[in-house]
Amino acid sequence: MAAVATCGSGAGTTGSAVATASKSNVTSFQRRGPRASGTNDSGPRLVSIAGTRPSVRNGQLLVSTGLPALDQLLGGGLAIGTVLLIEEDKYNIYSPLLFKCFLAEGIVNGHTLLVASATEDPANILQELPAPLLDDNSKKEFDEDVYNHKTPESNIKMKIAWRYQLLPKMEIGPVSSRFGHYYDASKRIPQELIEASNWHGFFLPEKISSTLKVEPCSLTPGYIKLLQFIQNIIYEEGFDGSNPQKKQRNVLRIGIQNLGSPLWGDDICCAENGSNSHSLTKFLYVLRGLLRTSLSACIITMPTHLIQNKTIIARVTNLSDTVIGLESFIGSERETNPLYKDYHGLIHIRQIPRLNNLICDESDVKDLAFKLKRKLFTIEVDFIS
Amino acid sequence: VTLSEGARAGIGRELGMLDSLLSLGGLVLLRDSVEWEGRSLLKALVKKSALCGEQVHILGCEVSEEEFREGFDSDINNRLVYHDFFRDPLNWSKTEEALPGGPLGALRAICKRTDPGPVTIALDSLSWLLLHLPCTTLCQALHAVSHQDACPGDSSPVGKVSVLGLLHEELHGPGPVGALSSLAQTEVTLGGTKGQASAHILCRRPRQRPTDQTQWFSILPDFSLDLQEGPSVESQPYSDPHIPPVDPTTHLTFNLHLSKKEREAKDSLILPFQFSSEKQQALLRPRPGQATSHIFYEPDAYDDLDQEDPDDDLDI
Repeated sequence: MAAVATCGSGAGTTGSAVATASKSNVTSFQRRGPRASGTNDSGPRLVSIAGTRPSVRNGQLLVSTGLPALDQLLGGGLAIGTVLLIEEDKYNIYSPLLFKCFLAEGIVNGHTLLVASATEDPANILQELPAPLLDDNSKKEFDEDVYNHKTPESNIKMKIAWRYQLLPKMEIGPVSSRFGHYYDASKRIPQELIEASNWHGFFLPEKISSTLKVEPCSLTPGYIKLLQFIQNIIYEEGFDGSNPQKKQRNVLRIGIQNLGSPLWGDDICCAENGSNSHSLTKFLYVLRGLLRTSLSACIITMPTHLIQNKTIIARVTNLSDTVIGLESFIGSERETNPLYKDYHGLIHIRQIPRLNNLICDESDVKDLAFKLKRKLFTIEVDFIS
Repeated sequence: VTLSEGARAGIGRELGMLDSLLSLGGLVLLRDSVEWEGRSLLKALVKKSALCGEQVHILGCEVSEEEFREGFDSDINNRLVYHDFFRDPLNWSKTEEALPGGPLGALRAICKRTDPGPVTIALDSLSWLLLHLPCTTLCQALHAVSHQDACPGDSSPVGKVSVLGLLHEELHGPGPVGALSSLAQTEVTLGGTKGQASAHILCRRPRQRPTDQTQWFSILPDFSLDLQEGPSVESQPYSDPHIPPVDPTTHLTFNLHLSKKEREAKDSLILPFQFSSEKQQALLRPRPGQATSHIFYEPDAYDDLDQEDPDDDLDI
């Protein structure tokens, strides 16, 4: 009894623990759970938020990135509290698509969105999100599309190396309706889905009124404002547990576009040794601290091909959790190379995080190429190289 | 304005290329170098916009106003609105004509009081602005100017704004040039061979693949554009007609080609791992004369023929 009294935290738990002990004489170990407590506090219960699932490998809570093929490569999805950094391709054609799939996945799952950009108004970005393929009919179309592409070629070529035609182009795991959706890049998301969602936008030219006033600070003013904005949203809407959320707990998806470009006021793309060369790395450090203490996941696209100092790229990679690089074939000599004629570019997985783990979740395949078909963005293993 | 026949025909032909240059709006970057200067192309584009009836503003920083206006007809000169930052860049004379805020202030003022109608702003030159202003400030100002039509602030419909910027590539490192070209909707790089100038035009439409084309041109004395074909074919030194293409399979001791019959035989060959019904039958059918299998054993000198199990000695 003394042991129960000292370890009981609430009055309700102690009393009910005694009551249950008298009922069952089998064991002195009592479960302190939702049966015992009368409050609405969640207690040690599995957090079940829409659109998330625990990783089968290390128990981390994962959200989908919007592309099921990318989820497979990252070991099931993007862990909550981490940053996904996408190194943009040279003409910035394919990285906005990944960015928008991430946001569209948030809308479909009912997550809260925070969109930050210095280039476009976030309202315009949301208008251009791709439409989800939710029906079974569309899923059948997608499957047929994949198989039509596969079988004629494989029948002709793989006569001697016939084992290879049994290998799938990419491991497409089962896509349940609650995690990971396919998106149609040629259609726009229905307006009612956007209006039903909860989103916050940060458009830098509106927030920074005068550009003449420059504060002597280590972070550029645009970054400071963005960090304050994110911190306010996290605090007010209770993603970090400070305000108890009355409704079901939810995930905040943050999307930051073109971070590091001169439009954010950062000069790492313009000069090799600028005055504010540590601004971006400090921003990422503070951002990761904010993410780790809240239920949020962040996607950042960065034009690393413009950054002049290569050590900054290395530091930025170390400060992010997952880093993916897109390299498109436009304008390079690979565009006319017959080996790459089916694809639009290569995907490089530069870093995968080790979260509460000794090893990271690498997938076995390293040569990945992507192509943007009329509707879908697919990632496939490039068998040739 | 009287135009010669050739110039009028030139304008007719050039409409195909230049319409797409200026009709997209946004920032048009003219990259020139010492060998192929771009100010004449800039003036030709300015003249074309003025003739189309657009408002044209010039921010002159690098050359004097007289030098810029030289070669234009009086009609065009009356249509140009010239902001002079060459004579007094730091505003030491403190006259009322000088606009506050320098060139960027002038840019913002142009955008604020723009009447509905397309506006063309020519920056002469962007290199001067890059050397006097921080690159990030310039990029933010250019972005705000060229995307002004997307701003929902004013209720009046604002016309499309085109910004023509002249950039001298050799003055800057890859950083500022890369940053500006990522902002630009169209990039025109001047080059050429043997006295003929060419413009390599790269159009970046948002969310679409960039398209590029090379256009040969020359500029007439009255700053009209004359489009031309490329240089003549026989002046190309690359092709050498004396060496015929070599076929590497001519002198081999083995045969690499298949005749039609050989190809058919190859296609109909059943590979060892392909399972067909005949093969299955052949494997399942017992072969005559081999009902059981025999083992033939010759004992060696060291072989122990003891039938006992050696593990019986273990005492477990």
